[in-house]
Amino acid sequence: MGDIDDIIRDFLLESNENLDQLDRDLITLEKDPTARDILASIFRTIHTIKGTTGFLGFKRLESVAHVGENLLSSLRDGRLTLNAEITSALLAMVDAVRQMLVKIEATGKEGDGDYTSLIETLTRLQGDHKVADPKSAALATPPAVMPPPTIEEIRKDLEIPESVQPLGEILVQTGAATRERVDEALSLQKHGDKRRLGEILVATGAALPAAVQDALQVQTESRTPALSESSIRVDVGLLDRLMNLVGELVLARNQILQFSTVQQDSGFLNTTQRLNLITNELQEGVMKTRMQPIGNVWSKFPRVVRDLATACGKQVRIEMEGKETDLDKTIIESIKDPLTHLVRNAVDHGIETPQKRRAAGKSPEGHLLLRAYHEGGQVNIEISDDGAGINLDRVKHQALERGLIPPDQAARLNERELVNLIFLPGFSTADKVTNVSGRGVGMDVVKTNIEKIGGTVDVQNRPGQGTTLKIKIPLTLAIIPALIVTSHGDRFAIPQVNLLELVRVEGEQARSGIENIHGAVVYRLRGKLLPLINLRRELQAEKHDELSSQEGPVNIVVLQADDRHFGLIVDEINDTEEIVVKPLGKQLKGISTFAGATIMGDGQVALILDVLGLAQRANVVSELRDRLAGDLAAKVESQRSDGDSLLLLRGPDDGRMAMPLSMVARLEEFALSSVEHADGRQVVQYRGQILPLIDLSSALTERRLQNRVSGSTAESVENAKIQVVVHSEQGRSVGLVVDRILDIAHEAIKIQRHTVRPGTLGSMVVQGRVTEMLDVKGIIQTADPDFFRETAAA
Amino acid sequence: MRALIIDDSKAMRSILGRMLRGLQFEIVEAANGREALEQLQSGKNIDIALVDWNMPEMNGFEFVRAVRAEHAYDRVLLMMVTTETEMENVARALAAGANEYVMKPFTPEVIMEKLRIFGMAGS
Repeated sequence: MGDIDDIIRDFLLESNENLDQLDRDLITLEKDPTARDILASIFRTIHTIKGTTGFLGFKRLESVAHVGENLLSSLRDGRLTLNAEITSALLAMVDAVRQMLVKIEATGKEGDGDYTSLIETLTRLQGDHKVADPKSAALATPPAVMPPPTIEEIRKDLEIPESVQPLGEILVQTGAATRERVDEALSLQKHGDKRRLGEILVATGAALPAAVQDALQVQTESRTPALSESSIRVDVGLLDRLMNLVGELVLARNQILQFSTVQQDSGFLNTTQRLNLITNELQEGVMKTRMQPIGNVWSKFPRVVRDLATACGKQVRIEMEGKETDLDKTIIESIKDPLTHLVRNAVDHGIETPQKRRAAGKSPEGHLLLRAYHEGGQVNIEISDDGAGINLDRVKHQALERGLIPPDQAARLNERELVNLIFLPGFSTADKVTNVSGRGVGMDVVKTNIEKIGGTVDVQNRPGQGTTLKIKIPLTLAIIPALIVTSHGDRFAIPQVNLLELVRVEGEQARSGIENIHGAVVYRLRGKLLPLINLRRELQAEKHDELSSQEGPVNIVVLQADDRHFGLIVDEINDTEEIVVKPLGKQLKGISTFAGATIMGDGQVALILDVLGLAQRANVVSELRDRLAGDLAAKVESQRSDGDSLLLLRGPDDGRMAMPLSMVARLEEFALSSVEHADGRQVVQYRGQILPLIDLSSALTERRLQNRVSGSTAESVENAKIQVVVHSEQGRSVGLVVDRILDIAHEAIKIQRHTVRPGTLGSMVVQGRVTEMLDVKGIIQTADPDFFRETAAA
Repeated sequence: MRALIIDDSKAMRSILGRMLRGLQFEIVEAANGREALEQLQSGKNIDIALVDWNMPEMNGFEFVRAVRAEHAYDRVLLMMVTTETEMENVARALAAGANEYVMKPFTPEVIMEKLRIFGMAGS
């Protein structure tokens, strides 16, 4: 029995693969009904299914395939031409076949579906009325009208045996025999000579045996195609195991590489180098075996588009570019559904009806373009339609109606923000709920699914002209670049895709920069509040949040999860590394904080942080509305500022001071020991030139609270650093030594009080705090009267 | 006795293989004409080949022509496995040197009957 089961399993596997191809072929064929090779391939598929089912005893399946085959053979022989009706009927037949295959797979039986009307349609379309009663056709075995002819009967019908002629032709062409002698031999054969042509020719002396041998050789060679590369089927499980082993090998290699750094033996080092290279190549090779062209997913779309367009009364032409773009198998699987959804959306919502299109001056047939290409280690997939685009007013209206955004915010949203509303859960703009879309589960799920595999979705809306959805996804999920951090003595890996930047906040800045707002710890990064999560606390290595009392520098890893930025405080930032992702054991699988594990070069295990999970656990990626509100607040802030960036400094009297960022050429840090004296002034060597320094604390002398003059503090001179703002004007530079650079803010310069204290222009409010505006030119003028004169002269 | 089953469908090969094993044949399989030709060229002693018509790379007809162009394989019996829609093809194949054909679906008895003509079926 097991034998039969195996056969049925093979049959199902083959048939399903072939049917997928068939769907595609039928659509192609509809566009070009004369493509004979495609017709032949379609015919072959149905033919094979029918032939096999006969043996397996699936009578219904056989009868459906049989009428389908008949119709296809009429098409193939040119007795019929493909039209929309026939295509639909054939697609319906494919569906029926598929339906039965599913049943066979599940129950081992073909089910008791009624396909009489389908059989009737297929028979009618064939124009063959011999089967008057479709019911009997449905149940009976395919009609064997006459007993099959015997060999003799067939032979009798034969004219000149086909295979022999080329041999004769070859002999004539090579001059080994004359046309007349060959014809003679052929007629002998025709009259019952059972010998082969070559034998006759040799016997009659028409050609030399060697010449006949040569001709036969030529004949065989021309028929046997050169050995092309063959492919074999490999079990996916085996590939996964191989990938796993390669992962282990990469880890072992990493360990050896680490070990080799402390070795002197050149032989060992060479071998290590070789091992390294081979491992890399092997890894690439095995990764490639898991790659599949995106065309595998796309192949279903022509059918989807066709059915949907027909159902909506639209005309849509689908075009694909970059079908061969390879992606990891697991990624292919996870983008299948999102992509299908986007394609359906484009047809259902994007492309207009032919009438509307004509009215808009477009061709009645809509155009859907799928594009895929590699770029920067990622795969880009674009789905563009030339439809009406996204109606932003309607989007706004819908969002308001569904209470997704408060009215006062709606008015302030810009185009981009409006477009992005379509990604909100519960959003749908379909006027009527169709059976294909508009059920309110959609774009948010698409977005979440794509983000889950480390991808992004972006919408480009061209009102009246169409919409493009751009998806970026990583090539593989098996080996990823990651940042390694340490917290509480344990190492963790953070996937690079989530990483935005690293911020190190030291001493004083940590105390003043990290604030506690209603229990939420935040850091003000370039004017924006960045919620902070302490990894120690999240992992419950520490009961209390000891941030405020924490000493020493704070390392913040700025991460992105679900469009929201947040900072993760870690003890140490180690390095970036390519890590091999391993699934977590079932004990840890339920914890949303971790996405997996990896083994480090030293053989120790590090857990991979799930950035989104972490953010959700810590409530930094909170409700949707917060997100919108946050964006809006940031926007309002940036609108208010409208333009000027300011560099914030701490002045000599601990007050906040600012200068326009446009006056800052560079920010530098010099060792105090590198400061030299020349011509009675402090200078440093900077980029091969001499940079004169002006100490702000001496320039603003009257405000010196204490002696902060360089070099006279208690700090050891060798280690002390000075922070310098470099200002350049017409090729000349001067360095302003400041106490500390605080931040960069974005604010309109509105000086409110024109107290003209030396060195300042007045004060203004920046980030809600009174800040004095430095008179950079005045300070330079005072300290170095020649600076401007010389630049003017230069 | 050894039979070479040539068909691009694995399920079909299994079905035929099962049937012929029941008739005390030893089975060799090939997924297309080219593979089948390689099997022959590798020196395998084949008594009968069951040949499908539609196959990628090298179809049944091309296979028959290639085999019949080589005298070394003269004693290999070529049996086309076909359906009633392919009768024209059978004629071509027979002209090219195929010896017999069977029409799908068939029972072991049909095969036995055909083999008996060639003195191949045992008791």
